[in-house]
Amino acid sequence: MTAVPPSGANEPPPPQRGLTREERGRDVSDAQAEAEAETSKPKQYLRAMSPRFVLSMAEGYPVVLKQFIQFCLIIIYPAWVFTVLVGALLHLAFYVTIYPVLWVLFWPVRASQKKNNPEEYEATMQKYAKK
Amino acid sequence: MGLFKRSTGAQVTVAPDVVSPRQIVSATVSTDRPVGKVTSATLEWGYTNFYRYHWAGRADSAAAAMNDTVWTMDQVGNHYGGERDTDDWVTVTKVDLPIAAGEFTGGSSTFKVPSWAPGSSPDLARWSCRLTIARGGGDVDAHGDFTVVIGSADSQVTDEPLQRTGGDGDTDMDIVVPSLLFRAGETINGQILLTPHADMSDGELGICWGYRCLSHPLVRTPALGGTSKSGQTIKLGKGIPLRNGTPVTVPFAVPLPGDAPPTATAVHSSLEWFLEAMLMYSKWTQGIEKMRRQIVVVNAP
Repeated sequence: MTAVPPSGANEPPPPQRGLTREERGRDVSDAQAEAEAETSKPKQYLRAMSPRFVLSMAEGYPVVLKQFIQFCLIIIYPAWVFTVLVGALLHLAFYVTIYPVLWVLFWPVRASQKKNNPEEYEATMQKYAKK
Repeated sequence: MGLFKRSTGAQVTVAPDVVSPRQIVSATVSTDRPVGKVTSATLEWGYTNFYRYHWAGRADSAAAAMNDTVWTMDQVGNHYGGERDTDDWVTVTKVDLPIAAGEFTGGSSTFKVPSWAPGSSPDLARWSCRLTIARGGGDVDAHGDFTVVIGSADSQVTDEPLQRTGGDGDTDMDIVVPSLLFRAGETINGQILLTPHADMSDGELGICWGYRCLSHPLVRTPALGGTSKSGQTIKLGKGIPLRNGTPVTVPFAVPLPGDAPPTATAVHSSLEWFLEAMLMYSKWTQGIEKMRRQIVVVNAP
């Protein structure tokens, strides 16, 4: 470790530096943050379908461009609702058809984890308990 | 009468051209003939900071995820947001030059380069002395550039922990270097200590230098990354036996480029140097291991 000699009294203080992407955290609009914070899946899909969420995707663009993008987003709004609905239906279809099969298929793996790595198993259960 | 008289302009001459932190640099402003109708004349000492930023849109918006989908990837020009290169002026000291009766004839100023000054490099900062003459009529702007080189006494060395950039850690890699501070053009002599935790297949080992710029603008949205560059990987050995409980030491010599930009932290971006070692197992299902050791590079004695 090399110590830098203290800066002189007649020296201006170093200017404040900004923050990196990691230091700032996620950069999302209010509408999207609310949708992501929603714990219930149907409500989350409903929030994603709201016009407020769709219009907020133009946030962060310069003026004029923002309004133009919002205009385009209004035009594609029916398609957006359709896409989200199809996504929600696929999500539901997965949970009633494939998920139970996988759940039965991986039963032995879970059982062996519970027996051999109880702490890790409990931690995983806690992690996915309320999701 | 003054309507067709061209603004004379002014020249800023900075001496010396190359300075180190805590040294004094002086600027002389000269004009071909007196500049009239002047309200103020200011000299600003500072640097132009180059960085990358996210130019529009929320960086983590739901729409940004669509840039990466297979069916929209080829839609060039239709991306959401995106990153751009830019630069901003950072003022360190401001000096008002004397004007007499609305007329500016020249002036001079001295500046002590601060100890925390980021070193000059095309990837990060260009130091200059900027003259702005505000006047009735066209303003006069001029600047003189100088280079700040960083010596070993001016840089702060912190021993950062080794960073794993790839692999599962079946073999521990430690990059051992005699010091963390190197000069541009110097050859880094060190060794890599390989400690396998299980019987692995034989390994192929390589090492290279690299640097990257971090984007951390004050106001704008930061970009994910900035300029980064790495040297050619130097092969250190093939068929290195990696057996549990048998550590292996492999020496290396990595020459740094002579024009290496110095490690520096500026307001909107930073430049950091590292050595990256890569171990490839001969059995390809075992994958690779990659480790990074942060180092400090200076470009003056």
